[in-house]
Amino acid sequence: MNGFLTNRILSDVLYGITNGVTIGLVALCLVLIWRSTHILNFAQGPMAMFVTYIGLTQMDHGLGFWPAALICMVVGFLFSGLTERLIVRPLYNKAEINPIVVMVGFFTVLEAVATAIWTNIPRYPVAPFSSINFQAGGSPTALSPLAVFQIVLAVGAMALVTVLFNYTKLGLQLRASALAPEVAKLLGVRVNRLLTLGWSIAGVVGAVAAVVVAINPSGMSPSMMDGIFILGFVAAAIGGLESPLGALVAGVSMGILMQFINDYWNSNYADLVAVLILIVVLMVRPQGLFTKNTARRV
Amino acid sequence: MLRHTTTLQRILLSVLGGAIAIGITFFLSGSNNQLLALATAYAITILGLSFLTGWSGQISLGHSGFMAIGGYVTALWLQHFSSTPMVLTLILATAAAAVGGVIMGLPATKLRGPYLAGMTLAFAVALPQLPESLGPWAGGSQGIPLQTPTAPHWFANVVGGGPLAIIATNYQYDAIVGILVCTVAFFIVSNLFASKTGRAMRLVRDNDVAAELVGLNLPRTRTLAFAISAGLSGLGGAVFAYMNGTVSPASFPYVLSISLVTYMVLGGMGTLQGAVYGGLLAVYATQITNWISNTVGIDPNSNFGLNFQNILFGGLLIVTMITAPRGLAGLIHLLKGLVQKQMSKQRQ
Repeated sequence: MNGFLTNRILSDVLYGITNGVTIGLVALCLVLIWRSTHILNFAQGPMAMFVTYIGLTQMDHGLGFWPAALICMVVGFLFSGLTERLIVRPLYNKAEINPIVVMVGFFTVLEAVATAIWTNIPRYPVAPFSSINFQAGGSPTALSPLAVFQIVLAVGAMALVTVLFNYTKLGLQLRASALAPEVAKLLGVRVNRLLTLGWSIAGVVGAVAAVVVAINPSGMSPSMMDGIFILGFVAAAIGGLESPLGALVAGVSMGILMQFINDYWNSNYADLVAVLILIVVLMVRPQGLFTKNTARRV
Repeated sequence: MLRHTTTLQRILLSVLGGAIAIGITFFLSGSNNQLLALATAYAITILGLSFLTGWSGQISLGHSGFMAIGGYVTALWLQHFSSTPMVLTLILATAAAAVGGVIMGLPATKLRGPYLAGMTLAFAVALPQLPESLGPWAGGSQGIPLQTPTAPHWFANVVGGGPLAIIATNYQYDAIVGILVCTVAFFIVSNLFASKTGRAMRLVRDNDVAAELVGLNLPRTRTLAFAISAGLSGLGGAVFAYMNGTVSPASFPYVLSISLVTYMVLGGMGTLQGAVYGGLLAVYATQITNWISNTVGIDPNSNFGLNFQNILFGGLLIVTMITAPRGLAGLIHLLKGLVQKQMSKQRQ
């Protein structure tokens, strides 16, 4: 039994799941924003990084981890909603490259401002969980209390979003204003307000993802979300950009696959493999693996 | 813009533009000629990006990757066949990047904007990680050195200046070589723009349903646009390799892709002049930033000063895209119109 728990393959799967839930969270954020406003938010990573810095640097002033993490989420909610109002709203109904370019600009500005304020020397916010792996019969397994906490946090956030969207009246309104804004407007839904709310919710999910990344032993830095954003995008695109479940499943699968590549091959090839998988999936099923077939215009 | 010109006019315009640019090199210092040589590389790359974005409506956040392909093919080829004429090496690098463009462009035929942008960004992130693991032939993180073009004797004699000025003479020679390559690339693209293929691409950009109805093969047109664009970026990467004297993963980080988009938009996307302005912005961005820092009184060594360039240009990108998406080229066009209006008023 102990041999099984410390087995190399099982360890890779467990490490993979720990990374995968974060990838899944980032993918979920992209899906939420894509579903509500049909914009792919290229500034997702830096936005989440920025609010996490605002929250977790409060720990330097003696604040505990939990209140600091709560600040991250509140600021994430406000910041993301404000972004939609001020920067994104002028771009609706413009050519589809305009929001991409603007969010890329926002990406640059946020990372530069964060580096200007907090420098790019990594910081190490400590969560109240040990990062030392559990032991099984004298040798370490692949899970630590911190990893379990990260998984629980990520899965919890996903479950809350699912409940919110599928089982509440607010969720119904959110889905309606994304799917058929005109009809929703006629039925009395305040669509504009809900689009902002959609971004805000994604901002909270993003903040959770960034907190999970920041409390890793490798610490937090202004570019900490860049690599994981790429994998998150690949996962979201494989899942079809429309499906939260697809984002989650694809994210965790990506995490496990990347871990196997790191362990058995070479971590420098991991991103290229991800791109190649994406190319193949998009050629076979352009609408993604988890989206129902819809008629395409062209 | 160049839609209603004849081939002869385009030849004359290209020759004139190239000649003026070469003339300017005689009045520049060595270090400015060095920057100008690099600017030609960026201008060609941005021309490729602009071609894709402005003329076929797709966007790529991965053109640093195609630059890397062009640069590495050049450096690797010259390592083994160092006597190859520059023209052949450039053609080879362009072709290699275009093949990469076809592979990346294949799914692009079925996809629209955001997917392609994300996929190309992932490509640009993945590519610079490879040389370190591919083995010693790829140069690792150190990169591969190569010989920059050196001025032949007749050129040194024409320019003069004696043995002390040999470095400046070489930089001027490099700038002129770059300008010549640039002129040819811009001439080819201006022809393409006026051709049947160029019209097909514009129709696909503006109205893909109509394009399909008149019998255009959408996937083929889109893939072709992507391949041409990638090929131009490969050419830019090859010129960069020649002018820079070395290629390494650090020459082509993925943030370069983002910078390329920034300078393309600020220069004016979809126009030939815009690509020239963009290339110049790419090499003079640091000096512009320093000048503004000095004027406003920002300490360049403070934390804010060190990051001011990205804050400035990222902010400019957002503002330009929301308020004046035609960039510098559009602004200059507008000013020219105002001046002409004033002048015709005065004549009356």
